[in-house]
Amino acid sequence: MRGGFLFFLTLLLLLALVAAANHALAHLHIYLFAGGLFAGTAAFLLPFGPGFAAVFASGLACDANAGVPFGTHALLFASVHAILFHFRDRLPHDLAAGRVLICLACNLALFLALTVQRAFLSPAPASEGYRVACDFVFSQVAIAVAGPWFYRLQRRALALARAEPAQSLL
Amino acid sequence: MQNRFDQARPFFTLGVVAVAWLVLPVFAKAFLRASFFEFTAPALVAPSYIRDLQEYWSLRLHTRTGLIEAGRDLARVNASYALSIQQNAELQAEVARLEGMLRMPARPQFRVEPARVVQRDFSAWWQRLVIRKGRDAGIEVGAPVVWAEGVVGRVSEVRAYTSVVELISNPGVRLAALVEGDPQPVSFQGGVNPAFGPARGTVEFVPLDVFAYPETPRKLVTSGLGGVFPAGLAIGKLVRVSPSSDGLFKTGEVQLDPRLSDLTEVSVLVPAGPAVP
Repeated sequence: MRGGFLFFLTLLLLLALVAAANHALAHLHIYLFAGGLFAGTAAFLLPFGPGFAAVFASGLACDANAGVPFGTHALLFASVHAILFHFRDRLPHDLAAGRVLICLACNLALFLALTVQRAFLSPAPASEGYRVACDFVFSQVAIAVAGPWFYRLQRRALALARAEPAQSLL
Repeated sequence: MQNRFDQARPFFTLGVVAVAWLVLPVFAKAFLRASFFEFTAPALVAPSYIRDLQEYWSLRLHTRTGLIEAGRDLARVNASYALSIQQNAELQAEVARLEGMLRMPARPQFRVEPARVVQRDFSAWWQRLVIRKGRDAGIEVGAPVVWAEGVVGRVSEVRAYTSVVELISNPGVRLAALVEGDPQPVSFQGGVNPAFGPARGTVEFVPLDVFAYPETPRKLVTSGLGGVFPAGLAIGKLVRVSPSSDGLFKTGEVQLDPRLSDLTEVSVLVPAGPAVP
């Protein structure tokens, strides 16, 4: 449980960093979405229960700071975590490139889900295509750059909490 | 059997949590939302204090000559504002006298509450600001938020020391507006936010005799209808109109001020109760 809590704290740090980046990028009208990093790593670092709790709680923190119905991010992140945990033995998470690819794929799925959900509110959804595409490309680049660092940070945090992931998963 | 259950456990847990979440009472969700917001608020507010400190130290680097020049310029601006305040007081007294003669209903009064912007959150899906004043300053949900050049948005959430402002470029924001020089109200809605460019909005129910072109845009201002925003505040520029599908009205495109993306300070208009007629 201590590992799960520490993992949740690393996700809160990610939330603060993404918020600061989005604040700085606001004048360019670019938005970074890092859902793939929130939901894409716990399945490979923690047992199911603590990982699920940490990812769900981080989703609630995202919901509290976003203009979506409360629970949207949490349920989406939890769904991604459950799917990844089910298929984790078949995914190439031993390699850094593999982990980044998994995070990018998760981010794509989450981004599309949120876009579909919010598209109904826009007065001109068709004209939002360029903006959505730009946000998506920049988000993917940000995840590809920050993903390996964030994964190492989470591993180091779990090591400090003496909740080393490899043994607890098996 | 046990092995199959272990394999399905993630999805079983997800299903149980999803159902539990759906049946959770609204007040419990509201409590959780407020709790998570307040829990994460220090991490989101702290950078704004660090930015203020950076600004303070950068201002400390200014030379004395620069400060003297800035003070002289400020004195000139203050002198012109002092004159405007006198004229404004005279005009307000005149308006009050005429309203009294015509027995018109009293207009809403507001107290201006300036607030620093903590966080700008401009996605394609929502457009929000977090400001550094909340219940501690008496801010209420729905209060209009303005800046020197017009409307910013309205308060959508109020927390202990922070508030969330929905920008007028947010897809969910609708308000009654007037094309300057035309008395008929139109309906403004935010929501078109292209990358690398200023946000835009749309207007509906524009009368057929209203024309606007990118070369000769028309100013769009608040109508005062609905009682939320005072009348006459600038929203943006109506740059294009075209006939709507029913042929009875026109629809148009509104260019919002690009400086809305760089706001560092806004003012919340807190209702101060009905005015004495």
